[in-house]
Amino acid sequence: MNTAFDTHVRLRDDVAIMDLIGEINSGAGDRLEAAYSEVKRDDKPVVLLNFKGVDYINSSGIALIVTLLARARNDDRAVLSCNLSDHYKEIFAITRVTDFMTVYPDESAALAGSRPDEASQRR
Amino acid sequence: MPLSPEPPEDKESTVTQSPEPEEVAPAHTLIPRDAEHWSKPVTRLEVGEVPASAININVTGRRVMGPVQGFGKMWQKTYRIGLGRQAEPREVILEWKKNFSLFWPEGANFYGPVTGIAPGEVALLNLSMPGKLKLSTGVLVLFADDEAFTLMTPQGHMFAAWITFTSLEYEGQTVAETQVLLRANDPLYELALGMGGHKKEDAFWTHTLSSLAAHFGVEGAEVSTKVVCVDKRRQWSKAKNIWHNSAIRSGGYMMGTPFRAVARSFRRPRK
Repeated sequence: MNTAFDTHVRLRDDVAIMDLIGEINSGAGDRLEAAYSEVKRDDKPVVLLNFKGVDYINSSGIALIVTLLARARNDDRAVLSCNLSDHYKEIFAITRVTDFMTVYPDESAALAGSRPDEASQRR
Repeated sequence: MPLSPEPPEDKESTVTQSPEPEEVAPAHTLIPRDAEHWSKPVTRLEVGEVPASAININVTGRRVMGPVQGFGKMWQKTYRIGLGRQAEPREVILEWKKNFSLFWPEGANFYGPVTGIAPGEVALLNLSMPGKLKLSTGVLVLFADDEAFTLMTPQGHMFAAWITFTSLEYEGQTVAETQVLLRANDPLYELALGMGGHKKEDAFWTHTLSSLAAHFGVEGAEVSTKVVCVDKRRQWSKAKNIWHNSAIRSGGYMMGTPFRAVARSFRRPRK
């Protein structure tokens, strides 16, 4: 079943948390870009991508994540991620996105800056 | 901290300081429906059988490189052509995968696996370059389903890139699209991109899409091109990628051809 993509931005101290919801495919670009503009406006040095509500990512979706990652790096903003399923941790490792984005098991671990989970340790 | 942050605007109205959403079962506990569409983890690439005439270097044993691992500025290039109502998007992707190399310009050879374009397969590329150089490189099929497929390049390729081919309904017609997310792999390729490489890249995909359209009986349709510089910084820590530069290695291989031929003649068993 296709689920339309949406994202909301929340703030926690120095971190802007982007809750990603639904399918990340080529149609998610505009919404992701709008959400990142919110993050930029708020001027937080760290962005946390929360994949908890994501049920599907295709290759166009991964490309959008990489584009967002590049934009954030261009703005000197760190990008973290959390709540990735094992399947997508593997995809992120294959595509080597994890070379530049630390993957945390959940939001609290990411916010605490605690131990990266296995996906990021493989790199 | 960001070096040049945009001035903060009305925070209250743009970003909500809301509590974390309610705890619900994560959507990802479901069985992934796309597992079969992705390549399995690949540490080092291996090329299958290729014709004897093909130059098979620069691929076997190499790692894949995404746009994150490249050296140069990051570009997103989107090429699109309208196909009218000649075919449904799934038919377009099916035909594109089946005849992938036929749509490429002359001098560019794609030696795909006999099983066709499928996730995890590795294809060899031989590309004619200026100075009669035959550049040997390859691609990994990272993702493939009925609506799209994505190729990822190896170490030494001109670009650290993902190239996604897709077809979709847009404004009442079927369109075919190639989207390339790339960084030049090393400083030499970055220089080449600035000295006509971008134009060649654009011409390559324009030709490919026009040929695909012609395959579906659409002649003379215009290819639209949208180019965005996603990250203008160069990643100097990746300058060492030049060690695997496929143009340098292919050139070295070609220069060594006469010597290898002589060496082979000495190795022939005497009767």
